[in-house]
Amino acid sequence: MDVIIDFANKIFKPLIDLGAPPMMFIILAFLAMLMRVKPSKAIEGGLKLAIALTGMGAIIGILTGSFAPALQDFVKSTGIQLSITDVGWAPLATITWGSPFTLYFLLLLVILNIVMLIFKKTNTLDVDIFNVWHLAIVGLIVLYYSNNNLLLATLLVLLIGVMKFINADLMKPTFNDMLKMPSTNPTTTTHMNFMLNPLIMVFDKIIDKFFPFIDKYDFDATTLNKKIGFWGSKFAIGVYLGAFVGLLGQQSVKEIFTLAFTGGMCLELFSVIGTWFIGAVEPLSKGITDFMSKRLKGRTFNIGIDWPFVAARAEMWAVANILAPIMLIIALVLPGNKILPLGGIIAIGLTPALLIVTRGRVLRMVIIGTFMLPVFLWSGTIIAPFVTKTAKSVGAFPKGISDSVLITHSTLEGPVEKFLAVTVGRLGSEFNIQNLFLVIVFLAIYILLFAWYVKQMKKRNEEYKNAVQNKSSEKQVV
Amino acid sequence: MIKILTACGAGINSSHQIKTAIEEEMRNRGYDVAVDAVVIKDITEEMLKEYDIFAPIAKPDFGFEINIPIVEAGPILYRIPSMSEPVFDEMEQIIKSINK
Repeated sequence: MDVIIDFANKIFKPLIDLGAPPMMFIILAFLAMLMRVKPSKAIEGGLKLAIALTGMGAIIGILTGSFAPALQDFVKSTGIQLSITDVGWAPLATITWGSPFTLYFLLLLVILNIVMLIFKKTNTLDVDIFNVWHLAIVGLIVLYYSNNNLLLATLLVLLIGVMKFINADLMKPTFNDMLKMPSTNPTTTTHMNFMLNPLIMVFDKIIDKFFPFIDKYDFDATTLNKKIGFWGSKFAIGVYLGAFVGLLGQQSVKEIFTLAFTGGMCLELFSVIGTWFIGAVEPLSKGITDFMSKRLKGRTFNIGIDWPFVAARAEMWAVANILAPIMLIIALVLPGNKILPLGGIIAIGLTPALLIVTRGRVLRMVIIGTFMLPVFLWSGTIIAPFVTKTAKSVGAFPKGISDSVLITHSTLEGPVEKFLAVTVGRLGSEFNIQNLFLVIVFLAIYILLFAWYVKQMKKRNEEYKNAVQNKSSEKQVV
Repeated sequence: MIKILTACGAGINSSHQIKTAIEEEMRNRGYDVAVDAVVIKDITEEMLKEYDIFAPIAKPDFGFEINIPIVEAGPILYRIPSMSEPVFDEMEQIIKSINK
């Protein structure tokens, strides 16, 4: 492995010295051409990534430039230690795609998918290339904490990768049920969101056993969403939170308005720049998908896409709206949390998994979600130094901002996996009995919990199958 | 000009794939279309009135009537031409019937 890295370093050193945006422009365009994408499309993609990285840097600069001082004053006047700026998911996705290792993890997962399909270990063809970043960031965290131990990062990414494909198969009948898809519809997803299902299911089973009566008090999600209207949209949330920080940070009235409007503007612009960067990965996604589907011709399988096909269910939005203020309160009192929720306060990294496990029971989603939020806040807090340093190294962080300023995403999908990555990474940098023991215990619990979840999901899928059979036999009787 | 609205979870990924694909294919077929991509949560009754066609990934329940034609655009995301073809055909039929 070291030989390969040395060799790669010699070849890529001049490229790396250019800095991330030019380097990724060249690599991404080259890789897309290798996947037989037209050169003009490949160059278009590479350029879009470069401008997205540059653009994210500019907006992060504006946001931290105005929020970081106000957050310092906020800490002083309230005594609450919330100094990390929550930029939401789009900057983190861009930063992760700004690392060449992400392309390595992408290649690894494409091969894993093909191998698992050939050996019939999964029935899902993943065409959601963009979301590879969720697993790539886990690999990058291992690299960061282990002084670049690529073997450990590779093994962890492969392990979680295998579990994600299995999970995509397991959830398929629930997706059919929740979204009224005919069984011929191939839609499923391998999204990292749903790796929280096992933990959520533990809480769901506890409610089943001890508090089943709460389902009686369930309410209609669509009515709530209709009432909230635009008040829950991105820019509105940016405005409230800007004002909130300004008020508690005892800023002047003028400054409070500035913070409010800056917050709203930055959240909107993160999304706009996010769309450039989707355009950047698009040619590569198309190339890889064509390559995979050509090689798997004649086989029928489910197709893994990004999670928002479940966004058609109103429950996940109602719960995201309810959890937002709950998260703000938890963030203020939770020991060990340093994030003031902003860009990630609408927890779309959590509510889709709640929806699928509880099958849309709103009250359960809110209760379990409340228990999950601390896990996200802690995970977001511990990865903040890594996120900030990586943002700097890929050129998506403005110069001249104080070293103490940290950024993160408060509701980043896969919080448990982030802890796992840090634990595995630490073992890589310091191999001793204690660290080894921690990794073994953590992995054992993680895998056993998943195995239990697999069993529960198989039971659920059996029930779905029986329900279909009963229906068809009823028809015959008639 | 036919105005089409699509949506997804963050208004960034899936909806933009749909937007790009519909704009490209419908222009190739000779129709003048403009597609906007938004967060599905942010759609209101007033907003939908501004559009001729709604093209979500799957049909959502907003708690109000959707009074414009709906084309479920999810299959575009599979990136397999034979699967997205029916979506484009359905859209073409509707555009013809709107006759703007």
